[in-house]
Amino acid sequence: MNTELIQKMLRKWDESIPSGLPERIQEQQSRRDFLKASSILAASLFIPACDNNDHIDTKTALANPLLTKAPWQTFAAVQNHLFPKDADSPGAVDFNATLYLKSVLELPGVDEADKKFLRDGVKWLNDIAQQMFSKTFYHLGEVEREDVLQRIAGSSAGENWLSMLLLYLFEALLTDPVYGGNTNKVGWQWLEHTPGFPTPTKDKRYYLLP
Amino acid sequence: MKDFDVCIIGSGAGGGPVALTLAKAGYSVLVLEKGPWFTEDDFFKDELACCRRSVYTPKLKDEQHVLEEYNGQNDDGSYKWRSEASSDSGSDFWNGNCVGGSSNFMSGYFYRLKPKDFRLRSEFGDIKGANVVDWPIDYDAMEPYYTKAESVVGISGKIIPHPHQEPRSTADFPYPPTAEHAVSGLIDKACRELNMHPLPTPRAVLSKPKDQRRSCEYSGFCGSYGCSSGAKGSSRAALLNDAIQTGNCKIQPEAKVYHLATDHSGRVSAANYFDKDGNKHAVSAKIFVVACQAIETSRLLLASTGPKHPNGLANNTGQVGKNLLFSAGGSGTGEFTYKQFDTQLAQAMKHRGPFVNRGLQDWYFINDKEFGAPAKGGIIDFLFRHPNAISKANGEKWDDNGKLLWGKPLKNRLKTVFSETKYLRFEIFNDWLPTDDCFVSLDNSVKDKWGSPVAKIRLGYHDHDLKVGHYLAEKSEQVLKQMNAKNIRSSVSGAPPPNLVAGGCRFGNDPATSVLNADCQAHDAENLYITDGSFMPTGGSVPYTWTIYANAFRVADIIKNRL
Repeated sequence: MNTELIQKMLRKWDESIPSGLPERIQEQQSRRDFLKASSILAASLFIPACDNNDHIDTKTALANPLLTKAPWQTFAAVQNHLFPKDADSPGAVDFNATLYLKSVLELPGVDEADKKFLRDGVKWLNDIAQQMFSKTFYHLGEVEREDVLQRIAGSSAGENWLSMLLLYLFEALLTDPVYGGNTNKVGWQWLEHTPGFPTPTKDKRYYLLP
Repeated sequence: MKDFDVCIIGSGAGGGPVALTLAKAGYSVLVLEKGPWFTEDDFFKDELACCRRSVYTPKLKDEQHVLEEYNGQNDDGSYKWRSEASSDSGSDFWNGNCVGGSSNFMSGYFYRLKPKDFRLRSEFGDIKGANVVDWPIDYDAMEPYYTKAESVVGISGKIIPHPHQEPRSTADFPYPPTAEHAVSGLIDKACRELNMHPLPTPRAVLSKPKDQRRSCEYSGFCGSYGCSSGAKGSSRAALLNDAIQTGNCKIQPEAKVYHLATDHSGRVSAANYFDKDGNKHAVSAKIFVVACQAIETSRLLLASTGPKHPNGLANNTGQVGKNLLFSAGGSGTGEFTYKQFDTQLAQAMKHRGPFVNRGLQDWYFINDKEFGAPAKGGIIDFLFRHPNAISKANGEKWDDNGKLLWGKPLKNRLKTVFSETKYLRFEIFNDWLPTDDCFVSLDNSVKDKWGSPVAKIRLGYHDHDLKVGHYLAEKSEQVLKQMNAKNIRSSVSGAPPPNLVAGGCRFGNDPATSVLNADCQAHDAENLYITDGSFMPTGGSVPYTWTIYANAFRVADIIKNRL
């Protein structure tokens, strides 16, 4: 593994972060700083469990041919790693996260530069995975995938890219099902979230309003 | 022959009362609104629409601001300022660009100012570095219009006598308080144990139906959301719909006024605007009323140069944009786990819908030797953490060292935050002192999509604001502590809340130090009135909307009497 080359690649990737992106994908910076200063929830941190769910995305892929194709196969693999399915809680695969992400990239509403950064991230991720393990991200095992994500999270671009993927995972988990995520309200049920009413109708989704 | 008797630019809380009053009196009124026209049928509890996509506000690439923030001191002690376009920084200073303006999206916390707020300089003296002045009118001049807003806009509440109760001409609110959450009783108990006076928060939300508007339906998603029942007293639901009913008021959405033309006598002759397709139009009227919310009002005036106004309309003494105000203070949080309550109370605490509706005014004026000389204080309001789920989850993706979380640790954290914890928050409102370091000007380089210079906002604040904020935060934390909340913390800062903005076109008796006279008429353009929050020379320590409504009703009567 050529650590120096990987560092160089990450620095190069940093140059493509759209201006204002970090603020757009975080909830107020001040809150983040504040949480840093406090010690709440520190006890809940531990190493991710290494379940044998390497191929969970393959199962999804069978259900939806689109997910066997680049870049969606890679997006699905990253999403399933960031938000894995467990015995008692839903994973990305359960709330249609990848197709939801696809709709975000296709619909108006999100900055075009941000969309490009999100799309282009797949190539950066795979280049770095190749450098580290001589395979693309999708073909890595669970432990190697974690290694790659930890490595890119150490760079500004990689952190922003993952942070952005997490934001759209949360949208897929918790937005109204009319937008294609939150399948059968699985996110709301898992987190015992009571939505407001009335909920949006299909013909009044945000991009169809005046 | 003029096209209209009155042309109002901006349809929010400053425009609505003028449109309704004058249309009802039989005058022809045109309201030009930059944004689109949504109705109750377009408003859903849709977090993407309200809060995550630019649906009710412009895209920053199309329209933005340049923000100037404090960036240290020069060798001579003067301040350095760093300016950044908001499309680069991601800081969004828009609040709701659509018919009814940001009043569509308010939480409707409604408070009157108090008599002393109209004469802060006389009551408390000068504060070094601040431009505190008395208002040219007193509370008695505003009181009938506060009362009028209660019944016309529809304000729900209950008067409980307390040491800082302002005088009223009626005994109580025309609508009883909105339904209250179980936590309100716990707040009351804790406050009383601490010898504080918990008060029901008046709200511009109907607790009973009114004409075509339904009562609140208590979905628990109010602030940031458009109201689908019509209960929220937005300018659109409460005023403009009735103005249209008269047959005398026309609302023109997607009409962006970029310039007010003036003639050689110094009067405003036309409003120049772009329509949806970018075509230019001009409309004439006897009287023009500007109410675009403070920042954009100052911007429009500064951009409206003319033969008698070389430096911008109403700006012949250079006062437009000066003494911009936000709301000072901050907020804080305490946490309860459902496990700490018995089953019945835990169920009640989980319930979403009713309002918390509790506030404290015990330190509206501070008389405490430990603080210093008697001073203007502020209010504390209690509320639950905003129910928006996506933003709540997104706020949890960093660990305590600022490192991204994912996998099982992230999921555990979400589960705890959503299913096991109730967050009670407080918000502190105290005066944002007017200073020379907080003002609006035009930016020289950044333009909007129509080619007009955007507003540049200098965001300086006075240290005294933080002193008062910290004092109130400490009192607020005492209440949460008394309630056995855990992880109590608060944050008081000089960061301006973009949704609580006023000033920039002070009213006053001296044209050298003010933009408007006591009637909110421009000193240097006799057919121009400003009726949004711009007129306020000092802010008071409550959200501005009720005072904006009341003052706009007051000025509407003045205009009616002259027409």
